[in-house]
Amino acid sequence: MIKPYFVALLIALTLYTNVNAAGPDCSRPFTLALHDHGLLFSADTHTGIDKDVADELVRRSGCKVTVSLMARARIWQLIESGALDFSLSGITNAERDKFAGFAWYFSNKYYLLVRKDSGVRNQADFEKNDKLQLGVIRSFRYSESANRLVDKLQDANRVSQASGLEPLYQTLMLNKIQGMIIEPFDYPALDEKKIREISSIVEFNDPPVPHGLIMSKKSLPAAEQEKWRALINDMRTDGTLLRIFETYFKPELAGALVNFQQAP
Amino acid sequence: MTSEPKLFSRARLLPWLVLVAMLAVTALLWDHEQQSARKELHTQFDFALRDTVSRIEQRESAYEQMLRGIQGLFATTDLMARDAIRDYVETLQLDANFSGIQGIGVIKWVPASQKAAHTQTMRALGLKNYVITPPDPRDNYAPIIQRAPDLDRNRVVLGIDPWAEPARRQAMEKARDSGMPAITGKVRLVVDEGSEAIPGFVMYLPVFARGQPAESVAQRRANLIGWVYASFHMSDFMASLYGKQASGLSLNIYDGINPTDSALMYQTGNSAKSRSPRASAALSANEYMVIAGHTWTLSLSTQDEFEQRFGPTIAFTITVAGVGLSLSMALLVWFMVNGRAHALRLADEMTRELRHMAQHDPLTGLPNRALFSDRVHQMLAHAKRHGGYVAMIFIDLDKFKFINDNYGHAIGDLLLQQVATRLREATRASDTVGRIGGDEFVILMGELPEIEIALNLAEKIRVLVAQAFILNQHELTISCSIGVAFYPDDGTDEETLIKNADDAMYRAKDSGRNSVRQAA
Repeated sequence: MIKPYFVALLIALTLYTNVNAAGPDCSRPFTLALHDHGLLFSADTHTGIDKDVADELVRRSGCKVTVSLMARARIWQLIESGALDFSLSGITNAERDKFAGFAWYFSNKYYLLVRKDSGVRNQADFEKNDKLQLGVIRSFRYSESANRLVDKLQDANRVSQASGLEPLYQTLMLNKIQGMIIEPFDYPALDEKKIREISSIVEFNDPPVPHGLIMSKKSLPAAEQEKWRALINDMRTDGTLLRIFETYFKPELAGALVNFQQAP
Repeated sequence: MTSEPKLFSRARLLPWLVLVAMLAVTALLWDHEQQSARKELHTQFDFALRDTVSRIEQRESAYEQMLRGIQGLFATTDLMARDAIRDYVETLQLDANFSGIQGIGVIKWVPASQKAAHTQTMRALGLKNYVITPPDPRDNYAPIIQRAPDLDRNRVVLGIDPWAEPARRQAMEKARDSGMPAITGKVRLVVDEGSEAIPGFVMYLPVFARGQPAESVAQRRANLIGWVYASFHMSDFMASLYGKQASGLSLNIYDGINPTDSALMYQTGNSAKSRSPRASAALSANEYMVIAGHTWTLSLSTQDEFEQRFGPTIAFTITVAGVGLSLSMALLVWFMVNGRAHALRLADEMTRELRHMAQHDPLTGLPNRALFSDRVHQMLAHAKRHGGYVAMIFIDLDKFKFINDNYGHAIGDLLLQQVATRLREATRASDTVGRIGGDEFVILMGELPEIEIALNLAEKIRVLVAQAFILNQHELTISCSIGVAFYPDDGTDEETLIKNADDAMYRAKDSGRNSVRQAA
């Protein structure tokens, strides 16, 4: 009498562990959107860190994932609505936490890139001078004090929005904006020298902010998100992520970006 | 008594305080309303800008999707399968929703080595006059080989090589290298030849050889076979947007990041004044949108209509109502305070009058018995502390009854008043003259170093009273009997002093009147 129950239990246990070990459920195709942003992804060359991370993630999952390019604002909108499953290099805040899950894979600080001729030497200098305009990418959020600066200038009508980095660099060169907030991977391959010549960098006094795989809570159940998160963690622990970052940065910087303290 | 004037002056300030306080509240409200109106205007404006950007993006992605359909066709069909392409475009049923499109076309990548063979193939397909333009020799050609819809004017386009034109070539290269759609800057479309220049742009999507890899830039360059493209008039593109542009806003779209006249691609309305954002616009902003790899500058600014809809109209109402209310409130308080001040003044006057009446003789205005008694106490208390004599001088008019009986009470009263006047004039300011009975007067003198001063005064008074009085043309003479008592010799309290002075006065009467006697 005991035997059939025992067999059933064994089968159930095996199935359970199998499901866990098998990685994400690939019964439907997924969508992943990239945004054109410096070294993360360049639409001109169709290459970048996020592209490499996406390729590796797709390979490991074994799922069919359609990768496309979108404006960042649209990506957040679609992640929230559940029309888009994934995106990369996202940072969180209380609002985003409601509709998105994250799997962190690198962490970095934010910097204020200012024109040298603006005379700005710290964040307060920029804030005080009414004539200075800040360029930001629509829907982008940053570290705490950078967010505070953006919100404050926004209220004062001193913010120019853009849907990509490139026009911001161009407008900075033309002195239409005098500052923008950047991350280490934001220097475009082109014009890098020209931009460095006219600008200087002010560091925000904030800790590094973790960036990660963005998963839509509407389209992915918590258990599935956990499986995708496990894939990212594997990529971190086996050194794949570090290798990807090392193709774009010097080894020290790549290490600093990838080796961060995982939040509990 | 002393706090009353202070109270009045404080009360007089009250209306001003109310006015200032209420104006301050009005100012606060006005400021708050102004700020929230400004915030609302800001929010609405930002929303309109974001909405415009997203409507353009959506439309662009719909056109991109349509081009991807044609691109997808080449996964199964050859680039030269003209009928298949024509049929495909026809089945797309490009209705009013796609009215922004001027034309859809196919471009073939032709290296110089294949140029002759390509021309021959095209002519063999029935296009007898087919020739690549411009004709001058180049390393590579990218002639338009098909154009839909297949109208006569579109036939002219066939053979034209957009690769030879820098603006178009740049977008074609971008599309090839990225494998993504790319648009040109502001260009003049070939179909607009001869007509006035309508700003337009072209969107290219690369086509790679079937079954060949296109993962890297190198692979994409090696395996490129052509492009599909769609050309647009900017005005038609904007007209085909979904949703509605918020009214009261003027929108200009420029090619690139420099909002110059030559880069202007689109503007709401056609009036020249909307060409550049008004200097007086409450809000204006540029947004740099990247669309298919190309940057457009959206320049949005508010017009009166928008500002009025969300602007500070309530703030104006608050100001008018607040100032009006403050003034009437202050006026009301002024009335109230002044009414109270007036009532207080009246009460004070009446009280003073009553007190005067209670303490003075109504006929002569001299202190009466009560007040006199009060002064006696004060004087005695002072003398007890500081020493000196106090004199009590009793004066009784002789035969006053006779005057009353013979000349009437009116004359008698007049006489009493004149006697009172003479007494007051004869005494020092510090002395007290009182009337304590019908024809009885009393004088109190304090701080006397010697009694002679009082005795001299008594004698002086006797002489003064004895001088004739003119009363209603009657000349009357009268005399008086005077008794004087001194503190401390004749008594140390009021009663004793009065009694002794009274006794002395009677002794004067007894000795034949019109004389002065000192208390014994």
